[in-house]
Amino acid sequence: MILVVAEQRDGKLNRATWEAIAAAQQLAGGDAITIAVVGAAVGAVAIEVAAVQAQEVVTVDDPALASYTADGYTMALQQAIEQLSPSLVVMPHTYQTRDVAPKLAARIDRALVTDVIGFKRVDGEQAFVRPMFQGKLAADVVPQGPAPHLITCQIGAFRADQAVRGPAAAPVRALETTIDASRIRQTPEAPFQQEKQAVDLSQAERIVSVGRGIKAAEHLPLARELATALGAELAASRPICDAGWLPMERQVGSSGQTVAPKMYLALGISGAIQHLVGMKGSQTIVAINKDAEAPIFEVADYGIVGDLFEIVPAMLAALKS
Amino acid sequence: MATIALWLLVVVFLGAFAAQVATRVRLIAAAPNPFSLDRPGERIRRFLVDVVFQWKTIAERPVVGLAHALVFWGFVAFGGYTITEFLYGLGIVDLTHGPWFETYRLLLAVFAVAALAGILVLIVRRAFVRPVTLGTHVSTESIIIGLFIVTLMVTFLLTYRLPEDTTSGRVNWWIHVLVILAFLALIPASKHFHLVLSPITVFLKSPVLGTVPNLDFEKEEVGLEAVKDLGRKMVLDALTCVECGRCQMNCPAWGSGKELNPKTIILQTQEALLAGDRAKTLASVYSEKVLWQCTTCGACENQCPVGIEHLPILIGARRGLVSNGQAPDYLGGVYNHLERRGNIWGLGYDQRQKFVESAALETFDPSRHDVLVWLGCAGAFEADYQKSMRSLFEILRARGVTFGVLSKERCTGDPAKRTGNEYMFQELASGNIVDLKAAGPKKILTSCPHCVKTIGDDYRRFGYDVEIVHSAVFVDELLRETKRRTPTAANVTFHDPCYLGRYAGTVDEPRRLLTGAGAGIAEPERNRENPFCCGAGGGLLFADKEEEPGSRISDVRFKQLQATGATTVVTACPFCSIMLKGAHASAGAAGGDVQFVDLMTFVKDRM
Repeated sequence: MILVVAEQRDGKLNRATWEAIAAAQQLAGGDAITIAVVGAAVGAVAIEVAAVQAQEVVTVDDPALASYTADGYTMALQQAIEQLSPSLVVMPHTYQTRDVAPKLAARIDRALVTDVIGFKRVDGEQAFVRPMFQGKLAADVVPQGPAPHLITCQIGAFRADQAVRGPAAAPVRALETTIDASRIRQTPEAPFQQEKQAVDLSQAERIVSVGRGIKAAEHLPLARELATALGAELAASRPICDAGWLPMERQVGSSGQTVAPKMYLALGISGAIQHLVGMKGSQTIVAINKDAEAPIFEVADYGIVGDLFEIVPAMLAALKS
Repeated sequence: MATIALWLLVVVFLGAFAAQVATRVRLIAAAPNPFSLDRPGERIRRFLVDVVFQWKTIAERPVVGLAHALVFWGFVAFGGYTITEFLYGLGIVDLTHGPWFETYRLLLAVFAVAALAGILVLIVRRAFVRPVTLGTHVSTESIIIGLFIVTLMVTFLLTYRLPEDTTSGRVNWWIHVLVILAFLALIPASKHFHLVLSPITVFLKSPVLGTVPNLDFEKEEVGLEAVKDLGRKMVLDALTCVECGRCQMNCPAWGSGKELNPKTIILQTQEALLAGDRAKTLASVYSEKVLWQCTTCGACENQCPVGIEHLPILIGARRGLVSNGQAPDYLGGVYNHLERRGNIWGLGYDQRQKFVESAALETFDPSRHDVLVWLGCAGAFEADYQKSMRSLFEILRARGVTFGVLSKERCTGDPAKRTGNEYMFQELASGNIVDLKAAGPKKILTSCPHCVKTIGDDYRRFGYDVEIVHSAVFVDELLRETKRRTPTAANVTFHDPCYLGRYAGTVDEPRRLLTGAGAGIAEPERNRENPFCCGAGGGLLFADKEEEPGSRISDVRFKQLQATGATTVVTACPFCSIMLKGAHASAGAAGGDVQFVDLMTFVKDRM
């Protein structure tokens, strides 16, 4: 049985949990999975995750677990694992997991594979794929030692919408656990809130980004139309935001946001290095620029040398048909 | 009777002077890090130029500087006279009656008239012209000192009209003597202390601009955290400041509306030292924000007429902050890139390799290659600057110069060094030095002025001594014999990079290359050895979030270059190029039709 650890904060489910569930279901290959929800008053979250196809949802519900602490959660998860004896524990690779998973693995003396992006069989054994050297290589890791092994799934590596829903809600059961609050050494403060970014470009899957080649603010609707047609966020290079044509929060680059979408379409961006360092991690870069010498073509996977005012309308027409 | 009175007065006033001086000497003596006296020849040369001939004072502000020089020379000339008169007045020895003294007095009359003219100019400037650099209010103390000097000169000149043995002659003599004594007591606590200290400070100033000695981690040095960490020269600097504001006027941060004023930094240091709280943290002495506004362009230090070194204090305080984890956010990314990828962009080394292959560069081998070309972060990774590197390679190949590159380079550590991340700098430097020593080049050639400073100067202090030249110098030498084109109308302007023009003094070579290639140069304001920074130095390349669009340092510099009317801006530093192109792009239509060309490409295209 595979155990998935759901992540919640203040009764709100972290959506990366759905990705971990999808991964676990695919690993289980039809066998049932169990989902554990840890926290205080997590009944609603348990019911929310019970919608997926699972053998059962278990909760470790204790007032001492109201706020996340490494000690408290390790205690809770250790007891859940001991009671359920899963063959594998799957967690989403969130900040919280990054904190607790190594501690938990050390506590129960089991192997941990972090940041997993896929899995495969290697010589009949279950291997987990994880990036190494800044993503330059992908390693197949076969964890050794007794079960259960622990894995954490990279955010975005598995698709949340592939979590299979059950015919009926899975049963929810509270585990009998004892959380000794006096053994929790950490006193958490209020979670640190990063400066609110009205637009979080780092989460965008596709980005249409405009540069000086757009020439005037009144041409922005053309780019916006293309973004809408592609289901993409609209972004810009520094001159556009300096000119106030788009708000600062849509600026990509060293002085703006760092993005890594699946597709980055650069319209009339020459590709100054400060811009490039902000989007070089994009999976596919498409550049449209009049100047064939523009540095953007050095990083582009697909480049079109030409007038964006001819190319973009043609793309829109093609997208509509 | 008069002799006894004078004795009493001398004891009182000289005592007051000595007591105040002693307080300050104790501050200097208690400070760590002894004075450095390396390169004595250069120090003596500077002393003659800047102290004796007052060159720094005159060069930037000719009228005021000359006025000051007249007063200074007057002071020096009067030294013997003052001593002789006091020896006489105190009844020790009378040297005032003799033919040589009369000759001396006659000569002094010339100096007195000159000093009088000088001080009147300075008083009028301070009281009525009131330049912004002298502060918002008129310093009464400075006016009093000014009037003292007037009185001294007038009373001296009156000795020709009022015989010594008349009552009016005696009164005149006493006024002269009393003013000298009062002056003496006023000096140490005022900016006029520079009279005593500045010759020493100028001599002790490092002969190399921007000398920030390496930290010794074995001794657990972490940079400047508290007042007690300020080194001896820093304390001397703080006490020497004459508050003329040349540093302020030349500072690109101040000149683009930032809070940083180098003069304020020095005066805050002085105030903190005199307050005596040695444990006070420097984070509370200076505004933290201000410390991160310095581009390390070196203008303040270079223009200072009294030998103050601002950069060791600014960078030292940054070190203190960095070692306590208080670097600004944008540097976190840069440090991360340097640590993990060894370059400021955070790009993978495969990209450098791609460039090395596409440009057909060989790995350096001292038996086959004349020079080692150091690519630097820009040359190795920045697509735009790689074009300029290719131009350099083309020139070298055309002239039969053989060259190679290292199979792997790290950043020299310049951004780490200037932002106070000394540990990271030393990590990068020691790795590079091992590789460079193994490669064994006799000469290194680079197009990055920052690499010139870091490898050529900072690495020397790590025991790696190599000749490193900027491509402007190397190619100028290479093309010296070639036919020069006739310059056209002045439609090209040259932006001197701070680390090339100011730090390395390379100002004629790029201009010779440009005119040789047929360019007419329209010089911008702030050029040659005193350029206005592009805003990238000191780790500020990635800090444009910290500046307001439109008033970034790069915007101000771009406008200065644009004002020359030139349609082509030539640069010789990858960072200047990035910043100025950025400013041009952000200026939109107001930026006009301006081309940016790197010096090497400009020369190559016209060979």
